[in-house]
Amino acid sequence: MIRALVGSSTRWAAKLSPLFILACIAAAAAQDASAPSSPTSPQQHVKIAFVQIDGDPRYTPIRASDRIILKAPDHPFAGAQIGIDEAAPLVRLLNTDFTLDRIAVKSAADMASAVLQAADAGTHFFLIDATADAYRSLAAAVHGRDVLLFNVSEPDDALRRDLCAAEFVHVYPSRAQLMDGLVQYVVSRKWTNFLEFQGPSPDDAAMTTAFEHSVQKFGAHIVAQRKFKPGTDPRDREQNDPLLLSALNRDFDVVFVADGDFDFVRTVPYHLVRPRPVIGSIDLEPVAWHWTWDHNGAPQVNSRFEKRSGGRRMEGADWAAWVAVKMVVQSALHTRSADFSTQRAFILGDGSFDGDKGLAVSVRAWDHQVRQAVLLAAPYEVVASAPIEGFLHQTNELDTLGDDQPESTCHLNR
Amino acid sequence: MNGCPMLRPAAALALVLAITPAEAKDTGLIYVSNEKSNNILVVDPKTYKIVNDIAVSRRPRDMHFNADHSKLYVACGDDDVIDVIDVATSKVVGKLVTGSSPETFAMDETRRRIYVSDEESSTVAIINMDRNIIEKEVPTGAEPEGVLVSADGKTVYVTSEVGDLVHAIDADSGYVTQDVVVGTRPRRFAATPDGKELWVSTEMAGEVSIIDRQKFVVTGKIDFLPPGMRKSDVTPVGLVMTKDGKTAYVTLGHAAHVAVVDVPTRAVQGYILVGKRSWGVTLSRDEKTLYVANGLGDDITIIDTASRKAVISIPVGRVPWGIVVDD
Repeated sequence: MIRALVGSSTRWAAKLSPLFILACIAAAAAQDASAPSSPTSPQQHVKIAFVQIDGDPRYTPIRASDRIILKAPDHPFAGAQIGIDEAAPLVRLLNTDFTLDRIAVKSAADMASAVLQAADAGTHFFLIDATADAYRSLAAAVHGRDVLLFNVSEPDDALRRDLCAAEFVHVYPSRAQLMDGLVQYVVSRKWTNFLEFQGPSPDDAAMTTAFEHSVQKFGAHIVAQRKFKPGTDPRDREQNDPLLLSALNRDFDVVFVADGDFDFVRTVPYHLVRPRPVIGSIDLEPVAWHWTWDHNGAPQVNSRFEKRSGGRRMEGADWAAWVAVKMVVQSALHTRSADFSTQRAFILGDGSFDGDKGLAVSVRAWDHQVRQAVLLAAPYEVVASAPIEGFLHQTNELDTLGDDQPESTCHLNR
Repeated sequence: MNGCPMLRPAAALALVLAITPAEAKDTGLIYVSNEKSNNILVVDPKTYKIVNDIAVSRRPRDMHFNADHSKLYVACGDDDVIDVIDVATSKVVGKLVTGSSPETFAMDETRRRIYVSDEESSTVAIINMDRNIIEKEVPTGAEPEGVLVSADGKTVYVTSEVGDLVHAIDADSGYVTQDVVVGTRPRRFAATPDGKELWVSTEMAGEVSIIDRQKFVVTGKIDFLPPGMRKSDVTPVGLVMTKDGKTAYVTLGHAAHVAVVDVPTRAVQGYILVGKRSWGVTLSRDEKTLYVANGLGDDITIIDTASRKAVISIPVGRVPWGIVVDD
């Protein structure tokens, strides 16, 4: 049987304490604590929990100044749901059911205790939908436990480098992967001179750092760096007017903008001194997924997702949640086992998975980042899929994106 | 050959009346379905010119002739129908209603049935060809694709692309009776003529899985790697086997090659260069010519099987998917 706590919107979940939800899970777990692992044995259970933070700022609607909603992002729970939907026909074959529960916590600090309680109640697989600040305490709490925590929405490079925790699998691409994909494409067009606009937030700084690293990696140049200051104050016009910000003597091929708030960047296209394209936070964005991607079976996935989500278009985090569930389900299918350590060994080892982005996705042994293609998305078209043809690697071209083993500071495989 | 009745409907009608169905065959005309231009283009095998352009419902993909080649059936994914084309007049003369987004299908004319995989509804629809009704919808794994009916009509095999499964469906009861796990993203089938093996292309695994039909287990795998290509580009989809069961041809998708496999030894004997995203593949009746549709090249490649060399590539419509020959 497939079951999921559907209809559990964030608001619904918020009304219940995490403890209440966990109590339900615990009750279910008590019944199958002794489930043996042979495929011919009675029904086995593989439990997956989706953990989110109430009031996560990443899911606040982005509005225009006149309060019109420009973007209405949502938690990627529907992505996990389509993964569970796909598992339905396997239940009879594997004699295993896959359940998806949704847990909402009040703050990043509450995440570790919620995960531990669910783990105590028999859940081994978690989809973590959290900002970077939740990860350090989470990593400490689950250290050495029989759990796999799939990062489905946070690109922060530090999680892959400094934190470097064996219990995590980063399904969502790192900033390094995303920026490498973006720069590969632009460099392949021989547009190698960039003007850089950086926003005020720490995320903008992190994105800019990743971009600059990619520029160096692929032999391009930054002509000038400018920090913008969002607003309309005429005294700050040198910092808030794209025309003045782009008024350089030197020419440039492309303007790169890091603006997670999506406020200033909207005013950049067509407001530059020169007729130049804009990349980064608008116009050409590196993403894990896009609703117009129509290769590799993507139209079917997009269609299933839109039905599940009530019409929302599938985005990168939804893709990551879908792939995370798929990894759990496929590991049970290909090992014919619902034993956690067998499944974990498959996911972290030989397992390669179809992410509908062409090249098969798999987990990098050194930092547990999922190697994957990066889509370069214009508003209505995926312009290209990185790795771009011609960027070669000795073992897997997907490792031209992000931290390859030699330069990684994380060595989980040693 | 009986001239080119396709171009002159009035003359064609006279011909149809004057000749038996058997004589209407062997035109050798090549039919190509084009996913994005919503048409079937007909190519003359001698002049390599396009001699007809048949407008069909949206997103035509898999095509099959009926036994006497009087009708061509075309699954049209965006209109949820199978168009029926009268071969003599090149006109769409009927539409069979399917489930959501039909992709590939198999026909059993003895039972007057079509088995079609509806990739969005994750079912195989059993269609009664005469009554134009869906008799039953059989639930499958997500994104069913390749469909094959056993020679005795009793078993229908279908792949689930997302589930990495091949299902065996009992044709009488309409239930899945057996499943077998194969490589990642299974796509299409070929059956050995002795009825013992089922070959399945597994696109993401870059292999062909071989299923023992009696035991219904995977007994072998064939790997492909054309010279100079990377394993990750090897995405096998289409496959076809000679009537003597000795040779199989497998289209390798993004690796832009066709693999030639010696069936008894399962050894890859060579690779033939074709276009990008090569999927659809078919053999002429005399098996001297192989036809390949190159989805991302908007063309087809015609191959001489004796020399294993491409003879010519011919531009067709947008995103060619399927290719069949009227011979």
